[in-house]
Amino acid sequence: MSGLLRRMGLYAIAAWFALTLNFLLPRMMPGDPAQALFARFQGRLEPAALEALTVTLGVSTAPLGEQYLTYLGQLVRGELGISLVYFPSPVSEVIAGGLGWTLFLAGGALVVAFTLGSALGALAAWRRGGWLDTIAPPLLSFLGAFPYFWLAMAAVWLLGFQLGWFPVRHAYGPEVNPGFTLAFAASAVRHALLPGATMVLASLGGWVLTMRNAMMGVLDDEPIRFAQARGLPPARVFFHYGVRNALLPSLTSFGMAFGFVLSGALLTEIVFAYPGQGYLLLQAVRGQDYPLLQGLFLTITLAVLAANALVDVVVVLLDPRTRG
Amino acid sequence: MNRIVAILALLAACADPQGETPAGTLTVLQEQQAAWVRNFNPLLTTGGARWPTTAGIYEPLIVYNRAAGESVPWLATGWTWTEPALRLRFDVRPGVTWSDGAPLTAADVAFTFDVLRRFPALDGAGAWSFLASVTAVDEHTVEFAFSRPYSPGLSLVGGQAIVPKHVWEGVADPVSFTNPDPVGTGPFTEIVRFDAQVWELGKNPRYWQPGVPKVDTLRFPAVASNDQALLALVRGEVDWAGSFVPAIERTYVDRDPAHFHYWFPAVGDTVFLYPQNATPPLDDARVREAISLAIDRKRLVRVAMHDYAKPSHPTALSDGYRAWRRDDLAPDGGWVRYDPAAAAAGIDAAGWTLGPDGRRRNAAGDVLTLPILCPAGWSDWVRAAQIIARDLDAIGVDARVEGLDFSAWFDRVSRGDFALALGWSVSGPTPYAFYRSLLGSDTVKPVGTAAATNWHRHGSPAADALLAAFEATVDPVEQRRLSDALQAAFVEEAPAIPLFPTPAWGEFSTQRFEGFPDAETPYATLSPNAVPDVLLVLTQVRPRDDLQAGSR
Repeated sequence: MSGLLRRMGLYAIAAWFALTLNFLLPRMMPGDPAQALFARFQGRLEPAALEALTVTLGVSTAPLGEQYLTYLGQLVRGELGISLVYFPSPVSEVIAGGLGWTLFLAGGALVVAFTLGSALGALAAWRRGGWLDTIAPPLLSFLGAFPYFWLAMAAVWLLGFQLGWFPVRHAYGPEVNPGFTLAFAASAVRHALLPGATMVLASLGGWVLTMRNAMMGVLDDEPIRFAQARGLPPARVFFHYGVRNALLPSLTSFGMAFGFVLSGALLTEIVFAYPGQGYLLLQAVRGQDYPLLQGLFLTITLAVLAANALVDVVVVLLDPRTRG
Repeated sequence: MNRIVAILALLAACADPQGETPAGTLTVLQEQQAAWVRNFNPLLTTGGARWPTTAGIYEPLIVYNRAAGESVPWLATGWTWTEPALRLRFDVRPGVTWSDGAPLTAADVAFTFDVLRRFPALDGAGAWSFLASVTAVDEHTVEFAFSRPYSPGLSLVGGQAIVPKHVWEGVADPVSFTNPDPVGTGPFTEIVRFDAQVWELGKNPRYWQPGVPKVDTLRFPAVASNDQALLALVRGEVDWAGSFVPAIERTYVDRDPAHFHYWFPAVGDTVFLYPQNATPPLDDARVREAISLAIDRKRLVRVAMHDYAKPSHPTALSDGYRAWRRDDLAPDGGWVRYDPAAAAAGIDAAGWTLGPDGRRRNAAGDVLTLPILCPAGWSDWVRAAQIIARDLDAIGVDARVEGLDFSAWFDRVSRGDFALALGWSVSGPTPYAFYRSLLGSDTVKPVGTAAATNWHRHGSPAADALLAAFEATVDPVEQRRLSDALQAAFVEEAPAIPLFPTPAWGEFSTQRFEGFPDAETPYATLSPNAVPDVLLVLTQVRPRDDLQAGSR
């Protein structure tokens, strides 16, 4: 248990380090937010507006140390500040709008890809040299090697536009109102199918290979042969002795991948016009929206750390060797 | 397996009704956003308010129609200068009511400007830089007293969206107010629905123009990229858009030539190649002129702009200024024609001679090197910069394209830290603001200090006198004479090199609606990006007569 505590301490230090970087990085970019916002209008604003914007956005000229203390204080109170691009909406409100959809789409895709990939990998290793083992890993790696942007565009064009099987944009149809209704849920699932499928397809190969290779190693071990010699049913050997041990490396990767759920859905969300937080990130960078950038990085950082901490706990439960 | 089939069948049963929009609902694509944020504050300068807050929900006193080049009385029925360029009187339109039923009065106008005075953050037009006071003389008359003679103030004051006093006087901080449930005078004021990916704006039942608007509801789907916008256009899901569409005849019009239309009039701001005038060798007008002559603008607009744009006029004025533009200054195209031989001769005369290695050097032996700054992601501008670089290379100038991230580019351009840079320009109802930003000494900031305009750092004493005289007169004949002289000064001093006027992107579909402006009936600019001109379109567009009876 003390090992686990030590690790949580490390996570706390990592979180502080990330928060500090999060504070410093946007301030090293050239220009200031008022200028950036003015520039986005490309001459459609009167030149006098630059001064109005500087006043509005309250561009801080305080010393860096002072700004840092203010920043930490606000974090403790859970205030993320006011977004500049979406002025005057609070950052927390802006992020809340997209966070749920990103978690639903990218998180769902990750869970499906992980489950499906690990199952396929385990089966491929179990029937080594069988048809699944021959076809799945190379085919899926091939699909995963396509540039994601291209894959997603091709899917929209062919399955959405030409064949019309799937909606081409948004998280739900314009005919339903968000709420706890069956129609809304069905619409949301329908709209998530195509973008989700492209994400699963792009990442499946990796999960299959990781699981297959780990499973191969485990299946060659003595305990498996002993279990088989004892006459245990194949299903028990497969799950209890094989999968349980082979899953550990994949599980660690799952923790890492979960962090990227919040940041890595950028391309998917742009191609499918999905109202998630990837596009927010792009806009925040473009508009030098420091508060929004910090809010987004904060959620991403905390998600990565939390997912890893969770995986650590699960690994301890699954693997007696780590209970030091 | 059976269960999966059952789930898929259930999903398929919820058939995709996306194409079926109610008959009176007009779908508009203007802002590119992944998710909508509810903000209807028309006074915000940050662009945080949803389109069409400033011209649609709220309205200005005057709508400047850049397609016709005229000012249309809107919330004001008329205006008079009671003291030329110093005292301006507006007659507020009688019979106008706010969407909550209260009448519009001169007090609302005076109140709106008082808010701008108290909160400079909202004064995007800089109105209080020339205003002294705004008073409601009576119920329907409001008077603006200027602190100095400033005739261009008419369009700045007239273009301000007016807010209701009885609602806004209760707002403690109008700067951070998101105005979720707007009360306006515009043709569309009722928020029918608002969620992250689609919102709908219903018509104002009390609108002051009889029988207007003819459209029930405007629908705004959130679309975050040009590709998605094109997809929506091609599928006929969008009735009106302001997107850039590559090869539009083939990608859009050919899909449904009877209904899909576009109109890209050259009324946008002129794109310039800015030479930094404060530092040699570009402080020499001969070098700037030579660079201009070396550029093949016809090829440039073909390659970079899909031939949607056309080469700039010698005066740099776009078609939006047709009424002001002088054609006598350079009938042969003057300094914007393509003439590499004259360009080489001009640069020779400036003392940069061609060496055996194909490079130009001055007496001191410095090679003529002029990097061109350009935002890296803007593919049309990058292509334009590449063509310019090649044209300059042909006359022996070492010009390389330097692509920068957008904010880094803007930072360097506004601080004057460049030799050549692509950039946009300022526009307004008269050429005054345009030439002030190109020639006015008071807009010149020292190199190293960020400037909102005049990035090229050129101040002209001759133009200053003309600009000051323009500010002081309200006589159209005199303004015209001064504008003519300003154009001559611009061509003479060649402070910045005009490339092409930006087209105002606009597409529409007549599958369900009609009455959009186009090249045949140019009653306004088609592009929804042209604010407040959109009010003219919003009040004209109507469902197609032959479809009135049934749904589509």
